Amino acid sequence: MHMPSVKPEHPTGNVYLDFAAATPMDPRVVDAMIPYFTEKFYNPSAPYALSRQVRDEVERARAVLAHAIGARPGNVVLTAGATEANNLAFATISEDAHVIVDAIEHESVLACAGIFSHKTLRVEADGRVDPERVAKALKPETELVSIELANGEIGTIQPIREISQVLAKERSRRLAAGETRPLHLHVDASQAAAYLSVNVSSLGVDMLTLSAAKLSGPKQVGLLWASDDVRLRPLVLGGGQEGGVRSGTENVAGVIGFACALALADETRTDEAKRVSRLRDQLQTLLCTEFPQMIVSGPKNAKLRLPNLLHVSFPGLEARRLVILLERLGVSVGTGSACAASKMQISHVLEAIGASREVAAGSLRLTLGRTTTEDDILYAAWAIAEAVKQESARVGVTWEN
Amino acid sequence: MGELVYLGMSGGVDSALSAALLLEAGYNVKAIYMRNWSKDLPGFKCPWADDLADAERVCVTLGIDLDVWDCEAEYKATVVDYLLDAYEHGRTPNPDVMCNQTVKFGTFAERAFAEGADFVATGHYAQNVPGTKKLLRAADAHKDQTYFLWRVPGYLFERTLFPIGHIATKAEVRALCAERGLGIETKPDSDGICFIGPVGLRTFLLDTFQKKQGDVIEWETGKVLGTHDGAFLFTVGQRKGLNIGGGPARYVVATDTLKNVVYVTSDLNCPALWTRHMELSDMHWISGEPAANGRYVVRTRHTGALVPVTFTLTDNQCGFIEFDQPVKTVAAGQSAVLYDGQEVCGGGIIEADKGILEQFM
Repeated sequence: MHMPSVKPEHPTGNVYLDFAAATPMDPRVVDAMIPYFTEKFYNPSAPYALSRQVRDEVERARAVLAHAIGARPGNVVLTAGATEANNLAFATISEDAHVIVDAIEHESVLACAGIFSHKTLRVEADGRVDPERVAKALKPETELVSIELANGEIGTIQPIREISQVLAKERSRRLAAGETRPLHLHVDASQAAAYLSVNVSSLGVDMLTLSAAKLSGPKQVGLLWASDDVRLRPLVLGGGQEGGVRSGTENVAGVIGFACALALADETRTDEAKRVSRLRDQLQTLLCTEFPQMIVSGPKNAKLRLPNLLHVSFPGLEARRLVILLERLGVSVGTGSACAASKMQISHVLEAIGASREVAAGSLRLTLGRTTTEDDILYAAWAIAEAVKQESARVGVTWEN
Repeated sequence: MGELVYLGMSGGVDSALSAALLLEAGYNVKAIYMRNWSKDLPGFKCPWADDLADAERVCVTLGIDLDVWDCEAEYKATVVDYLLDAYEHGRTPNPDVMCNQTVKFGTFAERAFAEGADFVATGHYAQNVPGTKKLLRAADAHKDQTYFLWRVPGYLFERTLFPIGHIATKAEVRALCAERGLGIETKPDSDGICFIGPVGLRTFLLDTFQKKQGDVIEWETGKVLGTHDGAFLFTVGQRKGLNIGGGPARYVVATDTLKNVVYVTSDLNCPALWTRHMELSDMHWISGEPAANGRYVVRTRHTGALVPVTFTLTDNQCGFIEFDQPVKTVAAGQSAVLYDGQEVCGGGIIEADKGILEQFM
């Protein structure tokens, strides 16, 4: 693949490269959901046969979800998205508890941690959390450690298994010492689930967050899985749905869609990961060849980085302007996390990995997905090169060696 | 390259077109977004980040620089605190007048000229004659914003450009934006006080001040009709928010924030609601020299009717205007702006008519 010297042919002239922000719903997911808006609209809690049938279908969907993460259906709480699931995980701990998070967690985790006595772990330059740091940060009062499976901005995959072992050691110590405070590992796997295994036993986690929205499923649907050892506490009170942990009439269509989306992801995960990582690598090579001083953030080792994510920086340029130029060329890309972009602050993730203000301001996050094609990559590479050259000329940045 | 113009860019339609017109006229344009306020109020997310994104989109389209200048400190001190202080003392201020004086034609203009600008420009609906101190009404009488510019020192207008002041209608402004592919022509007009937005003044004031129950008194009879929740929340002519049960519609004729009393009437012809004269203080003149005593037209609210008056200067800072016909009383603290034909002469702050409450003193 070579960088096109003229505008490449593209079927639509529109390329979406922001799958970490939102994924288009798979048509099969939409089809699965449709009946539950109309003929199967019943409230699962109502007493007649038609509604009981809907209740059974919700429970079957729960079983599909549980199966996909290697868990039992009874331990799955359905929520309105990953943010709520993360909040629910933090609702399990006592008021005087200590919690450990790392500096590149999602805002929902950082905000929850902020309510408690907490330690925010530093990360390495590639975003990795050193399990040794977790061990050092543990205190007798620590009840929760919350670490993302994979970061949605720079793509770092965390050593969850090793961190889990650190926690297991501390639990044994507490048991031997007669200390009764629980200690749990919560993992937000929202950004990872499309490409990485999310089996709760092999990860060794006590709680796991998933989001349908990042899996070609509907928005505002997610789940928190919690092991039998975790005592969940409700944040939303009412009719006692979801075992009393999350009241409110079930989002039936959403749950059905979520189950369908996760099952589809399960089927295609390995092949899809290979396919997008090859496209991602092509994009990276094209851009690196064109702009040798471009900075790629995140782990160098491909095994430690999300296969669909490429985070690049063009120091001296303003990514916000590049996004607008790219939008005019039909290409939608992100600048770091969508939340930070609207606040015009340097992203906390880039700050945590020690990126300079200049590097952070010139950062684009390119994320691929199920519908991304080779044509898309070629067109996007050309458009990014155009935008970068145009802005470079305007501000007088040169890219020669 | 042409002369250097620093343009205040808000993310709206008017400043977007201003940028395009300046470029077409051959100027070298540098756009500045003034971030004046970024605080969210209860129930209202301040849209500044969205406005900035709109401004940026226009600048990238036109290929010009956009810088963000943080003006929050001076905006807070001279606009927000001024507004709160005025309401606390029973006056109804014009925050836009202050913003133009201290931020747009204060900090912004000063810094622009210090950085070497030949001109400053804004998307105001106003006209001037660069090289002179003159400020003239906009071609579009429905949008004319000169009411908000009376406190700006005239020497700044010598080096100011108002690129859209000559355009006849807002519809034309939008059409010219669309023609140029600026992608902003459908953005709605912003109105009201920018940092208060749709929550309204009441919510804003109650974010700072405590409610305080007081009497609602009928002006004609002195009878207590009911209660209100803070005299500072009421302004002359107001109808809404009076907790006095049924009965006819009642209008505020005056407030006394010291005694925490609101005076009302149900009679639209009540003498307290009408006046033939107003006392003005804190007067300012565009040219720097007070206008001669004599006949002018006056406006007491933005795009309000231009009413003939006889003006007399009573001392350096104060004046007196006499209307030919009785006009509705205007809340103390509002601006009265004097015009001589198309030209803005200056203005003053309307003082409370103490006569209205004489009987209750």
